[in-house]
Amino acid sequence: MIKAPQDAAGGGLLIALGLVGVWEGAALASGSLGHVGPGLLPLALSVLSGMCGLILFAGAFRTKGSKLDRWSLRGPACVLGAAIAFGLAIKPLGLVIAGPMAVVLAALADRETRWTETLIFAVVMTVFCVGLFRYGLSLPIPIAPWLIGS
Amino acid sequence: MGDLFANLGLGFSTAVSLENLAFCFLGCLVGTLVGVLPGVGPIATIAMLLPLTFNLDPTGALIMLAGIYYGAQYGGSTGAILLHIPGEVTSVVTTLDGHQMARNGQAGIALGIAALGSFAAGTMATIVVAVLAVPLTRLALLFGAAEYFALMVLGLTLAVVLVRGSVLKALSVTIVGLLLSTVGTDLETGEERLTLGLSALTGGIHFVVLAMGIFGLAEVLRNLENPEHRDAVKAHIGRLLPSLDDLKRCIGPILRGTGLGAALGILPGNGAVLGPFASYSLEKKLARDPSRFGRGAIEGVAGPESANNAGAQTAFIPLLTLGIPPNAVMALMVGAMTIHGIIPGPLVMTKSPTLFWGMIASMWIGNLMLLIINLPLIGLWVRLLRVPYRLMFPSILLFCCIGIYSTNNEASNVIMMAIFGLVGYGLQKFGFEPAPLLLGFILGGLLEEKLRQALILSRGSFWTFVQRPVSGGLLLLAVVVFILAVLPAIRESRKKALIE
Amino acid sequence: MKTLIAAIAGLALWAGAADAQNYPTRAIKLVVPFAAGGPTDVVARIVGNNMSKTLGQQIVIENIVGAGGTTGITQASQAGPDGYTLMMGHMGTHGAAPALYPNLKYDPTKDFEPVGMAAGTPILIVASKATPANDLKEFMVYAKANNQKLNQAHAGVGSVSHTTGQMLNVQLGIKPALVPFSGTGPALNDLVAGQIDFMCDQIVNLVPQILAGTIKAYAIATPERSPALPNVPTTKEAGLPDYQVSAWNAIFAPKGTPKEIVAKVNDALSKALSDEGTRKRLLDLGGVLPSDAERTPQWLAGFVATEVDRWNKVIKAAN
Repeated sequence: MIKAPQDAAGGGLLIALGLVGVWEGAALASGSLGHVGPGLLPLALSVLSGMCGLILFAGAFRTKGSKLDRWSLRGPACVLGAAIAFGLAIKPLGLVIAGPMAVVLAALADRETRWTETLIFAVVMTVFCVGLFRYGLSLPIPIAPWLIGS
Repeated sequence: MGDLFANLGLGFSTAVSLENLAFCFLGCLVGTLVGVLPGVGPIATIAMLLPLTFNLDPTGALIMLAGIYYGAQYGGSTGAILLHIPGEVTSVVTTLDGHQMARNGQAGIALGIAALGSFAAGTMATIVVAVLAVPLTRLALLFGAAEYFALMVLGLTLAVVLVRGSVLKALSVTIVGLLLSTVGTDLETGEERLTLGLSALTGGIHFVVLAMGIFGLAEVLRNLENPEHRDAVKAHIGRLLPSLDDLKRCIGPILRGTGLGAALGILPGNGAVLGPFASYSLEKKLARDPSRFGRGAIEGVAGPESANNAGAQTAFIPLLTLGIPPNAVMALMVGAMTIHGIIPGPLVMTKSPTLFWGMIASMWIGNLMLLIINLPLIGLWVRLLRVPYRLMFPSILLFCCIGIYSTNNEASNVIMMAIFGLVGYGLQKFGFEPAPLLLGFILGGLLEEKLRQALILSRGSFWTFVQRPVSGGLLLLAVVVFILAVLPAIRESRKKALIE
Repeated sequence: MKTLIAAIAGLALWAGAADAQNYPTRAIKLVVPFAAGGPTDVVARIVGNNMSKTLGQQIVIENIVGAGGTTGITQASQAGPDGYTLMMGHMGTHGAAPALYPNLKYDPTKDFEPVGMAAGTPILIVASKATPANDLKEFMVYAKANNQKLNQAHAGVGSVSHTTGQMLNVQLGIKPALVPFSGTGPALNDLVAGQIDFMCDQIVNLVPQILAGTIKAYAIATPERSPALPNVPTTKEAGLPDYQVSAWNAIFAPKGTPKEIVAKVNDALSKALSDEGTRKRLLDLGGVLPSDAERTPQWLAGFVATEVDRWNKVIKAAN
């Protein structure tokens, strides 16, 4: 019987990672000791990771440990979704669109969000960021390529 | 000795000219700013400012760029303490106890001790640079591939000391960190490794992408999940500056941190990254009650922050005396120098003494300025924590996205950061701590490079690591540290097993 | 309907031509496929700074690093051919890359509009002070006798130190152990420390060490000695006349960039190379500047073709 579900799951994940590493690294030459190739370290580390996973997994049947935490969906989906949306939008649409979009999408994650406040805040933050990053630090961030060309 | 004073005199007379003081101040201010902003690092900033320095006098330009560099180190700890976001490799350790202190309502004290410790360390390290730069350089040349490899192995054993939980889990994530560091093109053949066929991964994983994801975003997700938790931070803010008692407790850690950081910073192979980790581990070992570490121990902030800043200063030694840049920022400084017609190397000291000593003097002045800039800012930073979290976290996210995008203008990095945010969230859920993962990731590249070099040089014999005295000694130390760290854990788990 | 289409097409053509005439109306991106602070980056920044003045718009350097520079060039070559994305091509990316990377996504001779040569940096053969040979002739004898023991540093397959080093090995008929480093900086460190026996690299990186006497310089692979290192003999003087190589940097535009724009950028580049301040900065680095005849796009096109051919032969011979 599994006594430490958290460890069992973590161990399982490590084993999976090890397998992916071995699979992905299989095509790389390991070389010899005198001339270690590109594949040796990825292979060795994948195997080690898998072994750690096995020990952790096996241990989960012997010693009692923590239960699995509940995962929430709303927080990660909104926050990470906001980052991904920003990544997709920044080059074609620029900061003027990607900025407020990221703020508003992220704000969906929180029940306390007040919408008028967030919308105003999104616009203010975007203007602030354009000033700070583009003009203050002169980083080449696209502002509105469809409008002003960059 | 008389020479030294004459040289320092020359340096200070150069550095305190109104113009150079202004450059120094400007550099420190910009540095602090980019250090605090998550994601935007000194590399992107210095690269963008390079053309602006074209028409400046080279000494002033370099003083300003150096100010950005160590200003960013200062600012990086602010982000680590307040937001749990390590903006720099060297501020990873500060997230452990610094952010915990902020949660306990001691943000001001943590920021204060970080600033004071950094200043003390910066002052001492500047003296080290001035007095010992030349002899230490020769020492640094003793470090060949095998020695670096041994040093990295020693560094990896620190992962086990770093964490509070299970040793096995710490080891596992360290290995995962090492594995992640191998992703991307191979340093020798340029073949793609473990990229899953994604072109975004061919260049490897960027440190800030990983750090923002598994530290910064994961922290946001954790706070969103526990609304009581995040409001607790705001309930009480407490003292703004460390008390005399706090300072007394930190003298030891600051001195030891400075020593470790300064020594490791001299190594041209970017040994400085190890400084804060080593200092943290040392303080935890020396502490009467190690269990306080990870729960907001002030020594866990003072030591690593001193080590970090001392290392940032002594890292100039290989640059100025050997002409060899120990890290990417220093490589940019080389570029800045060459653009100005100064080629860094053993001759800078004799050929451009005003530049050399002016820069050294400006380091101390810069540290003083950083203290002056940062102490009053503490009040502001702490007040920033009062911003309602519903507005705070979208801003953190926006800053992270812009910062990550601007590190090398890659939109795919922003998406990758989101994925690592999920990984960081998962690590929490499965009871893994993220710090050893970053340690493994930071050391991985150098570890592999040096391992491969050492084995080629020895024509495939592992004996080279044991036979060479420095490398053999370091490996022995690594074994001792590891055993010392693991023994109590083994004893405990046996006890547990017996009870059951 | 037909007239409408013709009108639209005409309008588009006219707009395009007007665009080329007004070029540049905004900042121009110059992609440097290597890290900021390296030799190519420094050349790009020095030249770009002056070109910005001529063109009246800022040239912004963007460093896209990876796979011996081919990552940056691949990305830049796929950008719109509007003149707002240019790139700093290099001996590696536009010479050796086709032979080194079988999956290369571009053809240096076909997928670009050559703009003009910027500057080259000569290659030097250097050795650790611990190496007993004192000049190139002695080294050639020593290297053949100690073939198995020699260690040569390089900064990864496809880097300048690697390709030029392989060229040397082919000409000397030796096969030393090739020790890869993450950059020439760390490699140089180990050369100074005596862990590495010899290497080939660009003059910029080596001048301070040579002047300080921490490493030995055997020869410079150019027809004439460099003013930065007047005591270092040329390969011709030192007895290896066929070893002629320099790490050149040239500006390219994506295929299809209008001729007018290429001409404008070429003109700005040429003006930069004639500017006293810019010249001095480049020459101080040990750089070799193109003559007037070598500054045209046509010359660059021909040069790239010969380079691709030459490196193909060297790399085949080395393997």
